[in-house]
Amino acid sequence: MVWQTTLSGLDWRNGLRLIKRGAESEIREGTFMGLRAIYKVRVPKEYMNQALDRALRTQRTLKEAKILDMAAKAGVRVPRLYALFPSAGLIVMEYVEGPTLKDLISSGDNWRPLAVEAGRQLGLLHRAGIVHGDSTTSNMVVSPRGLTLIDFGLAEFSTSVEDRAVDMHLLRRAVLSTHPSLASEFIDLFVKGYASVMGDAHRDVVARANEIELRGRYVSARRSVWAGEERS
Amino acid sequence: MATAATPSSLCQGSECLVLGIESTAHTFGVGIARWGSKGPELLRDSRRSYVPKSGGILPREVSQFFSQVAAKVIEEALSLNSISARELDAIAVALGPGMGPQLRIGATVARALAASLNKPLVPVNHALAHIEVARLTTNLRDPVVLYVSGGNTMVTTYVDGRYRVFGETLDMALGNLLDTFAREAHLGPPYVINGVHVVDKCAEGGQMIEGIPYVVKGQDVSFSGILTAALRLLRRGARLNDVCYTLREIAFSAVTEVTERCMAHTGKKQVVLTGGVAANDLLNRKLDMMARSQGGVYAPVPKWYSGDNGAMIALTGLLALMSNITVEPERAYINQMWRLDEVDVPWYGKLL
Repeated sequence: MVWQTTLSGLDWRNGLRLIKRGAESEIREGTFMGLRAIYKVRVPKEYMNQALDRALRTQRTLKEAKILDMAAKAGVRVPRLYALFPSAGLIVMEYVEGPTLKDLISSGDNWRPLAVEAGRQLGLLHRAGIVHGDSTTSNMVVSPRGLTLIDFGLAEFSTSVEDRAVDMHLLRRAVLSTHPSLASEFIDLFVKGYASVMGDAHRDVVARANEIELRGRYVSARRSVWAGEERS
Repeated sequence: MATAATPSSLCQGSECLVLGIESTAHTFGVGIARWGSKGPELLRDSRRSYVPKSGGILPREVSQFFSQVAAKVIEEALSLNSISARELDAIAVALGPGMGPQLRIGATVARALAASLNKPLVPVNHALAHIEVARLTTNLRDPVVLYVSGGNTMVTTYVDGRYRVFGETLDMALGNLLDTFAREAHLGPPYVINGVHVVDKCAEGGQMIEGIPYVVKGQDVSFSGILTAALRLLRRGARLNDVCYTLREIAFSAVTEVTERCMAHTGKKQVVLTGGVAANDLLNRKLDMMARSQGGVYAPVPKWYSGDNGAMIALTGLLALMSNITVEPERAYINQMWRLDEVDVPWYGKLL
């Protein structure tokens, strides 16, 4: 991996196709040392004090990279880190080829083993002390390597039952809103995969996720109104 | 917007007149809204605010003040518009969220008025009223809304029948942060002098310093850590101007960033600022820059309607009345914790 503190003189954005623009970052597609790559850059915010903006972008970029690295080391399938330019807010990572889990379910392919695998991947992530924060089927890519989790922009270091349950809840709401007729079977398989990694600890998480559903007013449920939509 | 819509059967004629009463915090306000040929409009309104001589708001003292001024404010609102109480089609009242003792004064007055005039009583959510008055006056009809005041801080937008709370403060409100810091730093009360908050005044000539945390957790903000850190900096001898500047910069940037996330997430291109802090220049500049960078448009609620007022209650009451939402006076309970996302908004995109 390349680690540099400055990107001076490099007009790296030239010719990189913009795939997506979110609230804080631009996702571009390009190549890195011959490999197809994602360039994720946190763009400067004009409305913020410059020093504050620079500090936040650096901090968040570093944190996202650290999370990707730790997740990979824990055996979670995530995009490979290629390069990191914290002060430029730039992460270069592997372009994960393949359809999203959401699209794959829609296409009618056999999604059942993938539901189990999605649960297993999220379980591995949680076991590593990380929560995803935006764990929808749009952020799971079915690549030749296997089901891969992407977009760690809202991920946090956390082992709390509440944060883990929010992840599970977000996934459930995403499936409910896009594939309501398959949701209950999907969730059963998902929980099976999740439990295979988390063991007995999965019970508390599932129970809390049900509770969040009923609360209907919490952070998680508020997100659910928009769940299933693409974002970064 | 359905400009040609006919008022509901609950209205007397082709016009509809609703009087609204606001009493959730420190202002007793009475306004009148009318449904005319061009849809809803705000008539002139009257209000009195309680200003503490020192410290913060003591609910009991404010409610005593409210009971003294209530009759006068109502009479004033009617006479300003040359309207007699008999002409009204309904009485609307803010039943929450807010402080109990003050809410009870407004509810009692409204129940009595509705009963004596034999007119329907319309329950209004105070937060919803701040939003609806902003939608009417800015002409931005489907916005992402940042609602900031002494008691509330939230980012919300309409989805599927209701306003959904996209993000909010996990602890204190933005206005409360500014006032509490001002009080502890001996900058106030009063907290606002000639329309400028004392913390804004103090921030002039200040610069960014280290030591105040920027907290945005997912879609929520948190201000209590900012307050604690700012006061600690002062105790350690930091320049007051620098602390004011940094505290304000961090708090305003955080709410702007959550608003930005909501825009990106929903794809909506309009942004509106409402509530007591809406008159703030710097916050307005930040939101305007943010909205442009997201390819959107921004407008704040006009200054006169930014703070608590009766006109917004009347407006929301009018829209509710025309959607056949009323309450029996004996069932018009106040609800101090009445959440915005519990309220159906059947008129959205239709009457307004």
